[in-house]
Amino acid sequence: MSRFLVERDGRTHLRLMEGMELSRNEALLAVVGIGFLLAVPDIARVTPLSFAVFHQGILFGIAALGLNLLLRHTELVSFGHAAFFGAGAYTAAVLASHYDVSSGLVLLAASIAVATLLALLVGYFVAGYLDIYFALLTLAFNQVLFAFVIQSQFFNYSDGLRVRPDGLNPPALFGLDLGTTAYEIVLYYFTILLLVVMLLGTWKLVNSPFGRALDAIGQDRTRARFVGIPVEKYVWIAFTLSGIYGGLAGGLFGMVQLHVRPEPVLYAFVSGEILFMAILGGVNTLAGPIVGGIVLVYLLNIARFYVEYYHALTGIVLLAVVFFLPQGILGSLPMIGSGLERRRDDPGLFLEDVKLVLGSLRKGVTRAITTVRIIIFGVN
Amino acid sequence: MLGALPAADAALPAIVDGALARHALNGVYYGFILFMIASGLTIIFGVLGVLNLAHGELYALGAFSVFSVVGFLTGLIAEPTNTVTAVVFGIVVLAGSLAAAAVLLPVGAAIEAVFVRPIDDRDEVYQLLLTYGLLLVLVDVMKFVWGPAPLEAGVFRELNAIPTTELVGISYPSYNVIVILVGLAVFGWLVWFFDRTKTGRIVRATAINREMSTAIGVSTDRTFTLVFAMGAFFAGFGGAMVSIGPSTAYLEMGLDPLVLSFVVIVIGGLGSLKGALVGALLVGVTSRVVTPYYPQLELAAPFILMVLVLLVRPEGLYGTWGEIE
Repeated sequence: MSRFLVERDGRTHLRLMEGMELSRNEALLAVVGIGFLLAVPDIARVTPLSFAVFHQGILFGIAALGLNLLLRHTELVSFGHAAFFGAGAYTAAVLASHYDVSSGLVLLAASIAVATLLALLVGYFVAGYLDIYFALLTLAFNQVLFAFVIQSQFFNYSDGLRVRPDGLNPPALFGLDLGTTAYEIVLYYFTILLLVVMLLGTWKLVNSPFGRALDAIGQDRTRARFVGIPVEKYVWIAFTLSGIYGGLAGGLFGMVQLHVRPEPVLYAFVSGEILFMAILGGVNTLAGPIVGGIVLVYLLNIARFYVEYYHALTGIVLLAVVFFLPQGILGSLPMIGSGLERRRDDPGLFLEDVKLVLGSLRKGVTRAITTVRIIIFGVN
Repeated sequence: MLGALPAADAALPAIVDGALARHALNGVYYGFILFMIASGLTIIFGVLGVLNLAHGELYALGAFSVFSVVGFLTGLIAEPTNTVTAVVFGIVVLAGSLAAAAVLLPVGAAIEAVFVRPIDDRDEVYQLLLTYGLLLVLVDVMKFVWGPAPLEAGVFRELNAIPTTELVGISYPSYNVIVILVGLAVFGWLVWFFDRTKTGRIVRATAINREMSTAIGVSTDRTFTLVFAMGAFFAGFGGAMVSIGPSTAYLEMGLDPLVLSFVVIVIGGLGSLKGALVGALLVGVTSRVVTPYYPQLELAAPFILMVLVLLVRPEGLYGTWGEIE
């Protein structure tokens, strides 16, 4: 076996780095996924696929990736990650429009720095809280920031700021002043590069001793404290780390949109959407939040051009995911794959599926009738 | 926000001459609206452990259905001409609001039985995703039934014709007084229900210990359905109360009250009715008193209040974790 291929349980695995080994299917999915991401600008040219919305989806996906760090490992539900996303976006906008900073990389670095500081601050207050209190405290900080920004002249109220340093052109990337199209494409590939780096970094992080400690905290805080993990400090660090993802994504979002307004980046429901992206894609997967981000942003932005009732369409997709893909889109792929494989070997299983569905439907209807009867007429 | 309140257009004599007192009264009115939404949210959370993100839409659904029901009912009776007819008119409107909120009973029960129950044993984040999906679906159901334009029930002027505050020599919109009284009645009824009736005690028992109540013969499924239907009913009633007022029913109306209700139930303590009332009044009065003097704090005030409360009392003012008091 070579350096990159190892044998595990009789199957060949692709070895990317120390400890990171992908099975044949996983490697195939990863290659197809990255290939697809790289091909998106070209696909968008020949199909109605919206390139800009897709790019947005990836950025929200990165924010959701950060949120998933908290959600998956420390089991904390954050309703306030738009704060970091918005902080990143607004940092880029303020520097570009008020201080004429024209280098895209400087804007991005500043976005990350500001979001990190904000996450440090918020994390200090919320690290000791649990469950819904944690969720609503993060929401509160998010809303306070939103209220502050939307009423501040410095941030130009609800009209927002432009991310055009000289008032006309987009920021320079890598010292290049690019035309609009080239700027978008270069920024997109830069995003993909950052995305791959973030994914690998996240993987490294969650498989490090620190990541294990976070898992322990998520499972039982008291025990984690007893084995010597400084729980609040680790949660604080994890919270700050997850804020960095949001800051990076937000900064890029500002540079992609070239205009930052409070509602799309800071409103409390954006926080909710970032959370739902992570769940939609699959909480227990590495790349799930990215898939969830792309799917949800695409549904929320594009569906309105095709159907009148686009909210309902999005809602039904979410309901379908909850009921039929219990591990999220990406997380349920192995289950679907093995299920299909078994049915291919034994077509008789399909008949049993139909029976099962009909049976549970009938049972549900009977129960509903009984319940209604009892509610109206009492137990007799 | 719930839309601009009617500035008391009449000159304010005698007792309520201070603008501060008027703002505080507006805050109480607003607080009772919030209470009607938050009480349902807190009961559902206390008993089922589900944070119902679709609750704001149930409130909006109540606001929309009151437009149809009250519009139909008031079409049957004459416009008020004197005190007696005005009171009759008011009673018809209240009855119509109750009927409109009753629409929410089967809706709430169906949501619980069909959607929430099957994923009861799954991780709570899926319940969030599910209720968010329901929120989106409900928005479009209302858009389909009532259309995208805002609706106005158009009974506000007639309700204000009922003499209330004039009787004690002050002037304050009768509609606001009616809402405050209705809110008090709702609180009283809920306390009576959970304290004095068998069903209410069964619900509390289920909230405190699900396995134990199953063991003594309680059907938790039916309790959950009942609780969800009740929560939906009061959210819808809150919506109905807003919609018969000066504000219109519109599609996005559920979002802000939903977020504020979270604040209310967290301030009051999860699962606590008394907490929901105190929290709602605190949030309502704070936001209405602060806004005229410091407009820039309008959006942030409830959240600052919540952060302060949580920093001092992390479990909220009356936190009981699942027990309804």
